[in-house]
Amino acid sequence: MAEFESKYFGKISYGPEAVIEFPAGLPGFEQERRFLLIQQPVNRPLAFLQSLNRPELCFVTIPVRVAAPDYSIRLSAEEARLLGIEEGTEAGAGGELLCLGIVAVEEDGSATVNLRAPLVIHWARRLGVQAIPEECGYSHRHPLEAPQEAGCL
Amino acid sequence: MLVIRRRAGESLWIGDSVEVEIIEAGPGKVKLGIRAPREIPVVRSEIRATREQNQRAAGGVEAGVLKRILAGVRRD
Repeated sequence: MAEFESKYFGKISYGPEAVIEFPAGLPGFEQERRFLLIQQPVNRPLAFLQSLNRPELCFVTIPVRVAAPDYSIRLSAEEARLLGIEEGTEAGAGGELLCLGIVAVEEDGSATVNLRAPLVIHWARRLGVQAIPEECGYSHRHPLEAPQEAGCL
Repeated sequence: MLVIRRRAGESLWIGDSVEVEIIEAGPGKVKLGIRAPREIPVVRSEIRATREQNQRAAGGVEAGVLKRILAGVRRD
C-alpha cells in the first residue's frame, strides 16, 4: 500500500490498482495524470477526484445522469483511443464507462456541473479522459441547484 | 466583431503571422486551416472554456455548498 497526504482527506492509503491514469491530463492541468476516485457513503452520489501529485487538488464530481437523466455523449477517435475502446462509443449510460461531471462554484455562489466536458473513466482499465465532444447540447455550467425559494435556507 | 465573407479556398490573415484558410464550407459546418507560429496557441473554444471551468472547480467546493448539492440531488 502506498500513502498520500491529501489536503481534504488527510492520509490516504491506496493500492496501485486504485490509481486512475489520465494519459492526457485535464485541460488546464495537463501535468496531472494520476488520480484516486474517492467515494464515501456519506457523500454519495458525489465522488472526489484527488490528484496524487498535488495534495490540494481535488475535484468534486457527480455522475452525469444525476444531473441530466438522459445524458449521453459520443467519444471522439482520440478519446476512445486514450481509453482503449472503439471510436464512437457512447458514454453516459453506464456500462464499463463511468461518466462524471466536475462541480464548480460560480461567482454568485451557486454550484454548477460541467456536462459539456465530462470525465469518462474506464473503470476496469483504470484509465480516464476529460471528453470534449465537437457537438454537444450540454452546458459547461449546468445548474446543479434549483433556484432557492424564499424560506428554504 | 469584424465579419468577413469568404469562400472555400480563400483565406485571411491576422497580423503578419497567422493565416486562416477556409478549406471546406458545407451546410452547417466549415473546415478551417490555420497557419500560425508555434508560440501562438490555437485551441477550440470549448477546450478553452473547459480549462477555465476546471480551474474554477480546482478552487474547491465549501462544505456548505456540498451539503446543499446533496440535499438537492437526494430529494429528487
